[in-house]
Amino acid sequence: MGRLFIKLTIIIMVALLLVIPVNKFVRESYDYNINQDILAFKKDPHPVDIINLGASHSMYGYYFKPTGLSHLDLALPAQTVQYDFKLLKEYGKYLKRDGVVIISISQMTFANFEIMDIGNYYEILDHSEIEPFRLLDYYRYMYLPGAKGESVNAALSGTLKSYRWDSHQPWANNGKNYAERKYEYVENQYRKATKKNYVEQNVKQLKKMLEYCKEKGYKVVLTMEPVHQTYQEHFDEDVMNRLVFQYLNTLEIDAPFLNYMNDPRFADNKDLFLDSDHLNSEGRKKYSWIVYEDLKKLGYF
Amino acid sequence: MTFISIEFLLFFALIVFTYYLIPHRWRWVLLLAASYGFYASLSSYFVLLLLASTVFTYFTGRIIEKQETKKQKKKAMLLGICVLLFFLGWFKYFNFVNDSVRALSTYLNWNYAIPYQEIVLPIAISFYTFQAVSYLVDIYKGKQKAERHYGYFSIYFAFFPQLVAGPIERAKKLLPQFKVEQTLNYENISYGMKRIAWGFFKKTLIADRLAPIVAGVYDSPDPTGSQIVLATILFSIQLYADFSALSDIAIGCARMLGIKLTENFKQPHFAVSIADFWSRWHITLSTWLRDYIFVPLCKGKKKRSEIYLAIVITFLISGIWHGAAWTFVLWGLIHGFYRVFGDHTKHVRGKMASFIQLDRSPSLHKWVKIAITFLLVCFSRVFFRSDSVAAAFENARLFLTFSSWKPSGIVEAAEMFSLLDLVIFGFFFIIVQLFHYIERKNASTWNWLSQRPAFARYAFYILIIVSILVFGVSGEGFIYGGF
Repeated sequence: MGRLFIKLTIIIMVALLLVIPVNKFVRESYDYNINQDILAFKKDPHPVDIINLGASHSMYGYYFKPTGLSHLDLALPAQTVQYDFKLLKEYGKYLKRDGVVIISISQMTFANFEIMDIGNYYEILDHSEIEPFRLLDYYRYMYLPGAKGESVNAALSGTLKSYRWDSHQPWANNGKNYAERKYEYVENQYRKATKKNYVEQNVKQLKKMLEYCKEKGYKVVLTMEPVHQTYQEHFDEDVMNRLVFQYLNTLEIDAPFLNYMNDPRFADNKDLFLDSDHLNSEGRKKYSWIVYEDLKKLGYF
Repeated sequence: MTFISIEFLLFFALIVFTYYLIPHRWRWVLLLAASYGFYASLSSYFVLLLLASTVFTYFTGRIIEKQETKKQKKKAMLLGICVLLFFLGWFKYFNFVNDSVRALSTYLNWNYAIPYQEIVLPIAISFYTFQAVSYLVDIYKGKQKAERHYGYFSIYFAFFPQLVAGPIERAKKLLPQFKVEQTLNYENISYGMKRIAWGFFKKTLIADRLAPIVAGVYDSPDPTGSQIVLATILFSIQLYADFSALSDIAIGCARMLGIKLTENFKQPHFAVSIADFWSRWHITLSTWLRDYIFVPLCKGKKKRSEIYLAIVITFLISGIWHGAAWTFVLWGLIHGFYRVFGDHTKHVRGKMASFIQLDRSPSLHKWVKIAITFLLVCFSRVFFRSDSVAAAFENARLFLTFSSWKPSGIVEAAEMFSLLDLVIFGFFFIIVQLFHYIERKNASTWNWLSQRPAFARYAFYILIIVSILVFGVSGEGFIYGGF
């Protein structure tokens, strides 16, 4: 048995040695560090004028630095309303007295029920808020992310962005392929969410979050970020009514709703987008100014 | 706690360590506690059902043995089987029957008032019920003595490595192994670890990487024909990787405890006929169905038509066993038809092969047969994978449409993968095929490997471990875990 033990030790040691560079690669990847701004804020908190919640549309949507407002971006990819609420409860205390909470509504808001990577929340939320919190997963994510296939995949995909089928490039066929794939994905998620009653749960979460904001005296504004026209073609009025507005209208929302989804200032300008539903840095700056001006008109600042 | 988790590996390491540390007379207690603990971690609600089924089968077995006449034994056996099947039927088939009767009543304008019931399917019930039935039948036939030791019997019923999805073992093979004092054996530990690692490899690098791709097509309301063709072929690969991985882990875990379980797969996708396929796929279920359904049905039957009917009934039961849905019934019937058709046309097909001179090249002939068998199996799996009968027929139509098989369409459908995922999957799929190739040329790849230089062996083991760690993804449990 001693022989077996020695062999095993050698195999495991070599395997771990080989995982070390992979681990380093994942730890340095964009996806693994996607929460770094929130983490930096947690280490050095300060009062903020604006907090934005939501998923990737919101995460790529706001940059208020040029406006002079201090801003905390709490949006993360595929973030559910439930985690929006958890983050707001954790970081809402840093909102200035007349600060604004932007709750981003997207095509996925009510259909989204899966957290893409729970690891994103390990360091920015209290562990009691993370469901399910598994200690082994936590240690693996924190210290050995290179031994997690999903993280390696995300890191690789992020690094090898151009290593895609031609038809999978964001602007292939003028962005229509991307928009179509995304539409199918959203519809599929929506079907699953309806079947499993997640839509209703998301509506309830949003209602609770709005009540919480009211209780805390936060000023709230609901927004929908602009998308490119190729994306709009799939998400027309009927589709949006089915996916979003039929649920949103059931809530008695005492807050303005700024819907920029079909905004002509963005709709046909590819230069403002990463792909047909995410703004790039230029688009982000332009959009944030527009939101800032509109909020001022509403008397928010 | 599922097999594919660090928790399970730690749990199992602890069990193995304790198993060899304590005296033999206490090992059954450890295995029983581990088995019930493992089951409770998966399905705490149904531990009592498992316990009740165990107690019932234990005493029924003893009652059967105590009966003096064959007739009395048979009565006791049938009563026991009926009770076991009642449990299975209630939990697994109540809503299937209820929904079917309701649909029929609606069609015929009858008044049917029994509503849908929220019944949760207890994990592993199909597997342990079949083991229990074989135990009672074997006692009745005198092939097996009723077990006196309740502890050993309970382990046979709930042995955690094979509880969730088999292999479906016979008491005659498993019970004596529990009673023999197992010593810490290098070969057993080493072989067990390799099988577990290989199971993890197939599950996390093949099955779970394919699962979202296949689901994406089968969950789509309007897939293209080529997507259905490709997704169905991929589903066949996924299903094999998923289920055989489960068996590998079960066999590996048991072997580390000194217990030898029955092999469940012998490269089924290289079968040369449907009959051959069923001797290679889920072998323990096939032999169970043969011994406890087909053979009794054929008793006294000599006419070919009667044998064929027995074959169809056996496959029908196989279909129903897999799942409580009409899609599984149809899947079973398709295989029954394949089997009967294959037998009935054996000579004609042989003549045809001679006529086109295919039999002059045995190797080519063999590969043609393998390809045809694989495609037939794939076609049946359209029904296995589809969510409803209507969807199954639509998908089957697409699968059989000639234009769905256009190479350009298939290449386009391959774009369901991201390019990166396709490369990663392709690499690991080639490794699995190389493993299978070596196995076909030699009796066992593990034996073949053990004769290679240390460097080559270590490189292979390290490749497996690093691949699982770095590229392995874990999905939502095992497909057969849901049966």
